[in-house]
Amino acid sequence: MQPSFFEWLQNTPVGIAVGETWFPWVESTHVLFMAVVTGSILTVDARLLGLGFRHLRVTYIARRLLPITWIAFAGSVVTGTLMFMANATNYIHNKPFLFKMGLLLLLGLNMLYFHLLTYRSVELWDHGRPSVAARTAGLISTTLWLAVICCGRWIGFV
Amino acid sequence: MDLHRFGDWLAATPPSQAIQASTWAIPTIQSVHIVALALTFTTALLLSLRFAGLGLTAEPLAQFATRSARRIWLLLVVLACSGALLITAEPGRTLFNPAFYAKMAMLAVVIVLTLWLAATARRMEKPTGTQLVVAAVAMLLWIGIIFAGRFIAYVEHY
Repeated sequence: MQPSFFEWLQNTPVGIAVGETWFPWVESTHVLFMAVVTGSILTVDARLLGLGFRHLRVTYIARRLLPITWIAFAGSVVTGTLMFMANATNYIHNKPFLFKMGLLLLLGLNMLYFHLLTYRSVELWDHGRPSVAARTAGLISTTLWLAVICCGRWIGFV
Repeated sequence: MDLHRFGDWLAATPPSQAIQASTWAIPTIQSVHIVALALTFTTALLLSLRFAGLGLTAEPLAQFATRSARRIWLLLVVLACSGALLITAEPGRTLFNPAFYAKMAMLAVVIVLTLWLAATARRMEKPTGTQLVVAAVAMLLWIGIIFAGRFIAYVEHY
């Protein structure tokens, strides 16, 4: 029988090397990048929700933190892909994993909506309390990122 | 006191038994631990970057350092509580694990370094070279703490 794409992926030299030797190192690096991604996004969300950093402008925090977020996100994607390759045939049936990917997709949509539409009026609420739409985006983002972390942890428990 | 006997006693206590009997308690506590870790690491990263003149530089150094350190202490309480629960749940996994003790040793040093950074920053407007070096060492230790934490799951315990 023809091996599936996921079987092929798992049997590439990289997939085998990560699975047999490098998994703990790749996983720790993933935790490191994930910490910066969620930590920096939750910081921006906290500003949107009025929970912290109220003395700093929204645009200032976004401009200074989001480049850090993106670098760390790139690192998370690379390390996450390597981990996936080590055990692809199991991960595609792992419910927390699939749920996590779905949540990341929703987070992407939330971010697009926020940056393309909500953020256009940022000058009106840059200094003070963000608009209802901006606060809603912050709340959705915070909730879903916490869920992403829980799903990520649960991948190893099922 | 004999560490093995302490571990056996701890594992037999009602709180430990309750966590062990549950299928969701350990991943839930770990998720709380990871969220707190993400916020701690990002707060520490922003504090260290501030000494390099990067990141959130709008606030005066003294104010920013005091605020950041206070956040770190608060988050360390959450980490200590969730961590203590995880040890209670599975004493054998941590109490005889060299990765756990490496993590605690690095944590002790990073606490001292953070105290020093916050104390010395309180009276100054511009960071010194020594502070920058200490801030960089602190970041390396936080990275080491994350790796050692994840390696608790992989290192052979005695």
